[in-house]
Amino acid sequence: MKAFELVKKELKAIFTNPVITLTIFGGVIFYSFLYPLPYAEQIPREQEITVVNLDGSLTSHQLERMVDATPQVKIVKRAHSIREAKAQFLQGDVRGILLIPKHFYRDLLLDKSPTLSYSGDASYFLVYGTIAEGLAKASGTLAAKVKVTKLLMDGIPLDLAKEQYSQVKLNMKPTFNPTLGYVSYVVPAVFVLILQQTLIMGAGLLGCTEKLIDGYWNKHSALTIITIRSLVFVAIYYLMASYYFGFSFDFYGINKLASPLIILALLAPLLLCSTFIGIFLGALLPRRELVTFVVLISSMPLIFSAGFIWPLESLPLPMIWLSNLFPCTPAIQGFLAVNQMGADFSQIMPQWQLLWLQVFVWGTLAYVTYRRAQRIPIRFQETHTN
Amino acid sequence: MTDFKISQWHLLNNDKWLLSSLTWIPILLALSIWWIFSQAIVRDLPVGVVDLQRSVLSRQLVREFDATSALKVDHTFSDISAAKNAFIGNKIYAYMIIPKNFDRDIYIGKPPKVSVFYNSQFILVGKLINSAAQQAHGAFNAQVGAIKQLTKGNSTALNAFAKTVPIRSQIIPLFNKNSNYAQFLVSAIVPALWQIVIVVSTILFLAANYRVYGLKKMVGEKPLKNLLVMGGFYLPIFLTQGVAFLIFFYTCLGWPMEGSLLPLIFAQLVTVIACMIIGNFFFFLTLDPARAMSFAAGFTAPSFAFMGVTFPVINMNRLAEMWRGLLPISHYIEAQISQVSYGATAWVTIYRFTPPMLGYLIPLLLILLLIKKHLKKLEVNHESI
Repeated sequence: MKAFELVKKELKAIFTNPVITLTIFGGVIFYSFLYPLPYAEQIPREQEITVVNLDGSLTSHQLERMVDATPQVKIVKRAHSIREAKAQFLQGDVRGILLIPKHFYRDLLLDKSPTLSYSGDASYFLVYGTIAEGLAKASGTLAAKVKVTKLLMDGIPLDLAKEQYSQVKLNMKPTFNPTLGYVSYVVPAVFVLILQQTLIMGAGLLGCTEKLIDGYWNKHSALTIITIRSLVFVAIYYLMASYYFGFSFDFYGINKLASPLIILALLAPLLLCSTFIGIFLGALLPRRELVTFVVLISSMPLIFSAGFIWPLESLPLPMIWLSNLFPCTPAIQGFLAVNQMGADFSQIMPQWQLLWLQVFVWGTLAYVTYRRAQRIPIRFQETHTN
Repeated sequence: MTDFKISQWHLLNNDKWLLSSLTWIPILLALSIWWIFSQAIVRDLPVGVVDLQRSVLSRQLVREFDATSALKVDHTFSDISAAKNAFIGNKIYAYMIIPKNFDRDIYIGKPPKVSVFYNSQFILVGKLINSAAQQAHGAFNAQVGAIKQLTKGNSTALNAFAKTVPIRSQIIPLFNKNSNYAQFLVSAIVPALWQIVIVVSTILFLAANYRVYGLKKMVGEKPLKNLLVMGGFYLPIFLTQGVAFLIFFYTCLGWPMEGSLLPLIFAQLVTVIACMIIGNFFFFLTLDPARAMSFAAGFTAPSFAFMGVTFPVINMNRLAEMWRGLLPISHYIEAQISQVSYGATAWVTIYRFTPPMLGYLIPLLLILLLIKKHLKKLEVNHESI
């Protein structure tokens, strides 16, 4: 019965604390809409470019039309010289330039392989990539066409010519995220981080609030409080997580390849460990705002070292060790593998084991610091009970 | 209580968290971000191959893939299911299948189809693999095609090449010549972190003042003047942080810088003021530092996504653009890119940057109203006691 009473008290402490409810409920729901917002269009399209056509032949105009027809690029300006194109670029009218050289058509007929040059603003990663992709596609199509025409001129029948313009056909198959959509790329990983961070904040804020006043938390052993508290937070966050992995993923049309059971199994150590980190921070830090502060500034290094934006192979090894001290790193890798790529549970065993190891280490730290914090007499300064 | 003067030095001396958030924490954050991306270019992504032909020609194709800087073909599989397993288990980022009768089909002019399955869940990796594969494929095609032309005996080497590759293309990445990811990502992530540091440190120093001196003494009779004096103490620190990262990028690391630092320092000054106004606004909303910090987290944490450096602004929807407009750093980053990359004149940068920043005068006005409200409440409470 004692346990049940404690659960009730914990729940009351959480739900009557406006900072905590703002952070965990407000935060989780607000982020679920805010984070995917810039990527709602999924893929960058129709980047605006200018074209400098120094040739003026029929073929060069045909190329322009092919370029304009690709979904990636849109011709919005034309320039008569490279200098003019540059000016348009610097004014911000366009993000890329296509240059069709003089005698393009003539060189094409004379088998002199003329060079098309195209450029994009590489200060913006996807802008450049999109422009390069669109222009490469259009020039590839034109090259194939030219080749087929030439083969026809050599007397080879059309059916054969259509086959022979290439020696080997390359069939690129984007897998797991076939449209290369940005929401499907960012959301599954970032949501795991959001769950971790808001949970740490919630548990930490609760711990920090308690330091100021006396209450049930000083009347029970640290072990009891931590056990009950982590169970309560894990239960609340199972609900939050099902909102993310269920509703939000459906809403944004993101892969859900893993069975709910696997998700639940992977969530258990993530949520437990995050609660422990929160209890640890709450016991360690003197004031509530510092909990949020620490969690907030750690978010960016954590997300960029998790291995989904920047490949693990390119990360410095000590950075990988450091990032593996926190649950979001193995958790993001695990969730992406099972839910986005359809891996078996056995394939993410290393991540799952690491998570449980973290549960043990952070749990011990939480216990030691929380017990110490309980022994410090209450500082009767201002009472932040609101 | 009313006797001693407000001293920010005194606060800094006694609040090691405030001192840390102004000094070593931002440095550590910036360095850790730089360290994460320090390799700058993605090289040697592990890739597998299922070679069902095992001939000289098929190995040549594999070598072409291996020769690209992005890929390293270091896994060989005898059957497709093994490759697929390694792929799903994230041991390799892609695998290619070279079909049976690969050689024969090339010789008889019936182009065989080489399939490459690549991981597009990780977009950066996916894009790199795609372009590396296209490149390797192009090179292989050109070689084999030219040899085929030459065997006909009626063309020179150059001629044979042109017949195989009728159009050559030259792709020029403007302003970031070797697609250095460190340069492109770090120079945007660090400003985003800087914005977070300014907003949260502002809340921390306001909280410290509030804790030690109380609201009445802290804002006094003339709230605007006192806020300016208080902010004026911290502003040089934030500006120094900003200038420091610019010097770190463009002098220490030697990244290319086309424009000049002066207009950027102006932009930074305005950005610092805007961020401090936001910090003040969050704090004076409730006078509760914990809640202010939660607002700050909600507001600043996702700002990198909205900056438009990764996902282009023109493809964002209206709502996203509106939110983007609220974030000071998204205005700053445009100024930074216009100087660093485009080498725009100082005037153009300042002219484009300044008008939207004037919008932050609105929250400033709200802050003054909020202070008035809090003071009034304080007085009422006082009287009731």
